[in-house]
Amino acid sequence: MSPEHKQPLQSSLRVQELIYGLRISQVMTNKVFAVSRNCTMRDVQTIMKNNSITGVPVVDNKRVVGIVSMNDLMNALEQGAMEECVIRWMVGEVQTLAEDMPLSFAISAFGKFSFRQFPVVNKKNELVGILTFRNINMALIRELSRQLREMEQKNEQPPEPDSLVLAKVYQLHRYDFENGGKASAEMKKFLKERGIPPKVVRRVAIASYELEINLVAHSIGGMLGFDINEERVKISSHDRGPGIKDTAVAMTEGYSTANEWIRSQGFGAGMGLPNVKRVSDEFAIESAVGMGTMVQAIINLKTEGSNENK
Amino acid sequence: MDLIRIADTLEAELIYAPKGWEQINVETVFASDLMSDVLMSDRDELLLVTSLSTEQSIRSAGIVGCETVVIANSKTVTEGMIELAKDQEIALFGTRYPKYESCVRLGRIMEP
Repeated sequence: MSPEHKQPLQSSLRVQELIYGLRISQVMTNKVFAVSRNCTMRDVQTIMKNNSITGVPVVDNKRVVGIVSMNDLMNALEQGAMEECVIRWMVGEVQTLAEDMPLSFAISAFGKFSFRQFPVVNKKNELVGILTFRNINMALIRELSRQLREMEQKNEQPPEPDSLVLAKVYQLHRYDFENGGKASAEMKKFLKERGIPPKVVRRVAIASYELEINLVAHSIGGMLGFDINEERVKISSHDRGPGIKDTAVAMTEGYSTANEWIRSQGFGAGMGLPNVKRVSDEFAIESAVGMGTMVQAIINLKTEGSNENK
Repeated sequence: MDLIRIADTLEAELIYAPKGWEQINVETVFASDLMSDVLMSDRDELLLVTSLSTEQSIRSAGIVGCETVVIANSKTVTEGMIELAKDQEIALFGTRYPKYESCVRLGRIMEP
C-alpha cells in the first residue's frame, strides 16, 4: 500500500461530518460592510481601515455586483484614483456562496479560487454575509473543542469485540479501480460477522460499492465514511469535485457522464445513484459545480420499518 | 445443480475454489458484462457468467452474495482476481465457450 493510500484516522470522520454538517450561514460573518456602486475608492479604504477587513462587496439593491479587494485598492492608489467610483476598480463577476451550502463546499471554493473572501447570498440572491478562511478556522476550532469536551465527559468504555458501533473512513482516489470496493468488502464482512441478516448486509454492500465506484470513476477523489450503530448504517460519500450541475438529472436512471474507459470496467450505465437510493432507507444528495458532491445513505439494521423488500 | 456438473458441461477450468466447493448448489444464473446490472439485481444470484474479466467482476459478485463466477470466452484471469476470489470465498472458473453459448449449455442442464 503506497503512502498516499494510507487510511485516514478515524477522527477524520468527525471532521468530515463536521464540515458537511455545518452550513455556511452558521460560520460566516453576518455583519457585512458593503458599498454601493457610486461610492468612491476612498470610502472603501476608510471601511477597510476602520474595520480591519480586506474585501468589500459592492451591492445594488442588495445584489452583489462586484467586490473591491485590497489589491484593487492598491491599484487605484497607485494611479491616484482614490476619488473615482468603485465601479471602475472593482472585480465584476463575483463568485458567491449560498448560505445553505455545507461548509465543505466553501473549503473547496477557497482551494479552487484565489479569493480571500466570498460574499454569501440567500435564496433571493441577496447579500447576507461574508466568509473568510478565518471564519472557517474559528468555527472548526469551536466545534472540535465542543466535541472534545463531550467526549471527555462521556465515560469512554472500550468497545466490546462484537459491538456494532463503528466509525471508519476510507480515502478513494480517481481512477483507482483497484481499491474501489475494498471498503464495501470490509463493511460486508463486519456486518456479516455480527449476525446482520444477509439481505440487509447486501443492501449496505451495494450502496457502499456504488458510492465507491462513483468516487473512483467520477470524482477527483474523496472519502467514504461509515458510521454504524445498533440501529443503522450511515454511509457518507464526500468528494472534492467536479460536482454535479443538476442532481435531479444525475438521479435519472440511465443518465451517465461515464467515458469509454469507465464503461470498459463494467460501469457507467447511469444506474449508480438510483441504485444507491433504491437500497437505502434514507437518501440525500447535495452538489455544487467546482465544489464537490455529498451523498448520504442510511440503511436501518432493525428490519422493522426498513426498506425490507427492496 | 451441483458445481461439478456445471463445470463439466462448460468444460470449465477450475481457477480457484474454496473448501467444500463441490457442495455449492446453484439454483439461479445471472449473465452480464455490465456490473451495474449485477448490482441492480434483487434476486439471490448464485452464479455469474461474464466475459468481463476484471477485479470488479469478482467484487460485484461478492457484493451481491454470488458464490461462483464463470469467466467466459477464454479471457485471461489476473492474479488480482484470484486473490479477490480467495478473500471472498468465491469459486472461480474459466471456460472457452462464449457467454451466450455458456448460457445455452447451462440452460439445457438446468431444465427440469
